Amino acid sequence: MVDLFPLSLSLRVASVATTLTVLTGVPIAWLLAKRRFPGRDLVSALVLTPLVLPPTVLGYYLLLLIARRGPIGGFLGAFGIELAFTWRAAVLAATVGSIALLIKTAQAGFESIDQRLEQAARTLGHSEWSVFWTVSVPLAWRSILAGTILAFCRALGDFGITLMVAGDIPGLTQTLPLAIYDHVQANELQQAHVLALLSVGLVIALMLAIGRYARLKY
Amino acid sequence: MSMISVSLEKRLGDFSLEAHWTSAANIVALVGPSGSGKTLTLQCIAGLTKPAAGRIVSGGRVLFDSAAHVDLRPQSRHIGYVFQGYALFPHMTVSQNVAYGLKTGSRERLSARAREIIDRLGLTALCGRYPNELSGGQQQRVALARALATDPDLLLLDEPLSALDAPLRRELRAELVQALRDCGKPAVFVTHDLAEAYQLADVVVLYENGRTTDATPKDELLWNPSSERVARLIGARNILTGTVAEIGQQSVVLEWRGQRLEAARSPSRPLNVQIGDALAFFVRPEYVRLIRKDRPLADLQRHVNCLQGDVVGDRDEGTTLTLFFRLAAPGTPSQGTYDLEIEVPKLVYERLGVARDRQWQVSIHPGTIQPLPGVGGRESEVDLFSDSRFPTPDSQ
Repeated sequence: MVDLFPLSLSLRVASVATTLTVLTGVPIAWLLAKRRFPGRDLVSALVLTPLVLPPTVLGYYLLLLIARRGPIGGFLGAFGIELAFTWRAAVLAATVGSIALLIKTAQAGFESIDQRLEQAARTLGHSEWSVFWTVSVPLAWRSILAGTILAFCRALGDFGITLMVAGDIPGLTQTLPLAIYDHVQANELQQAHVLALLSVGLVIALMLAIGRYARLKY
Repeated sequence: MSMISVSLEKRLGDFSLEAHWTSAANIVALVGPSGSGKTLTLQCIAGLTKPAAGRIVSGGRVLFDSAAHVDLRPQSRHIGYVFQGYALFPHMTVSQNVAYGLKTGSRERLSARAREIIDRLGLTALCGRYPNELSGGQQQRVALARALATDPDLLLLDEPLSALDAPLRRELRAELVQALRDCGKPAVFVTHDLAEAYQLADVVVLYENGRTTDATPKDELLWNPSSERVARLIGARNILTGTVAEIGQQSVVLEWRGQRLEAARSPSRPLNVQIGDALAFFVRPEYVRLIRKDRPLADLQRHVNCLQGDVVGDRDEGTTLTLFFRLAAPGTPSQGTYDLEIEVPKLVYERLGVARDRQWQVSIHPGTIQPLPGVGGRESEVDLFSDSRFPTPDSQ
């Protein structure tokens, strides 16, 4: 008698969000680790802000961007794609909230690679792209995996940003953390209990997986 | 033509490197203390670091020229680099490491070339192993194989033997010499050990605090250093200063500590001194002979540059001993508490009973007293370092 839709929604949202996170976060992590470029310090600081800013602040700015009247929302609206208050917004919210964890972990992984290995690869004729795939990623993959799992857990558990940009629409954008909040508000403590326990169980299992197969570096 | 010409400037924080040398020899050694800019030079040659200004030419190819805006990527320089610590890819086997630089050709040809070089360096049995399963000497051979597999135009080696312990180092030195001569490629290698440079290289470039000498043939460096500064860098002992008393065709007589010493003049190096000038010279400790006391007096006529004094201390170095010899002549000794360091094999020390008998006459052959031009602080720092103007790449 407890509605498990929020659980399946959260799993789907977190999976898509983590895929986006990895595709954009790993290159950024590599850039921060390996390249000195103007504005590097700014980028590095910007990456950290989602970790410490209040979720409602992040949600607010995101909403400004993706609302129908906003720059991104308006652009995509012309193609008939709605962002705000849909599951897509939930994905965006989860990505913004969790990408910093992947970037920082992956960056530390890339930084721990002896730069002479990458130099050797270059002298042996491999392009930067090839060095990335044949040397950097294989040697940092455990850190990247740890960062991915961390980001996934964080994406599962996003509350404030999701609430701001996706709303809390049951059956549509009511993710697991939002559902627990709603149950508690409605004094449906048993349902809240079940969903909370599922959350905890899932996260603990994932944390154990990091310990076993991945490597966390800071 | 295997000529390499390096002229570069690079600044890293407080440290500033100005390296200028050129050589047509096969194997060049860059020698100097840690932090003097040798590795940085290799990195600039390989294109891994960009100099602030300069020109680097190897085998007729311009690799870098700041004036002409030429800066080849490391991928295009055709240079084999053996890194300090070897930098073997830990996630690849020996054969994968060696084959890493081989991209052209079919799958069969790839393996054939890799196999050929693996066999040549005696690594066949280790093909499937990972770097962490190899000994230091094996890792070094894999690193060399990997660098040679791509058939580079130039080989760079950064302290190829320093990660190994002494007995292994000696053994591998011989192997490395052979491998370098076999492959016939020009090579530049870095070491802080002059003896190693002497064994492996044809010419030596000395590095000190970001400055370099010319590329000097090793024998000339060791036996005929160009200045007092260079002599100190190669670890010459008994660097002394005397006054020119007489100038002859074949020799020059110096006055030192009240003694008259005859020094042979080098046929290849001019000595622009006048009577009364101060002149630095050095005496090799192993060429100062203790005169045996049991010989008859007549034999003493044969000895030139005889000095009388006492052994005031000795240092046991295992197979040889260093004796600290103080002249009987009055005055302050040249090197603190003593005038000369003398090196004797332990056998001689015991046979002559130097432990008990401390009064000795010694003799120094004129050919082993080496004048060092450039004393007096009249020349600039750069000139002190070498007495010949380095040829610029354009004048070749």
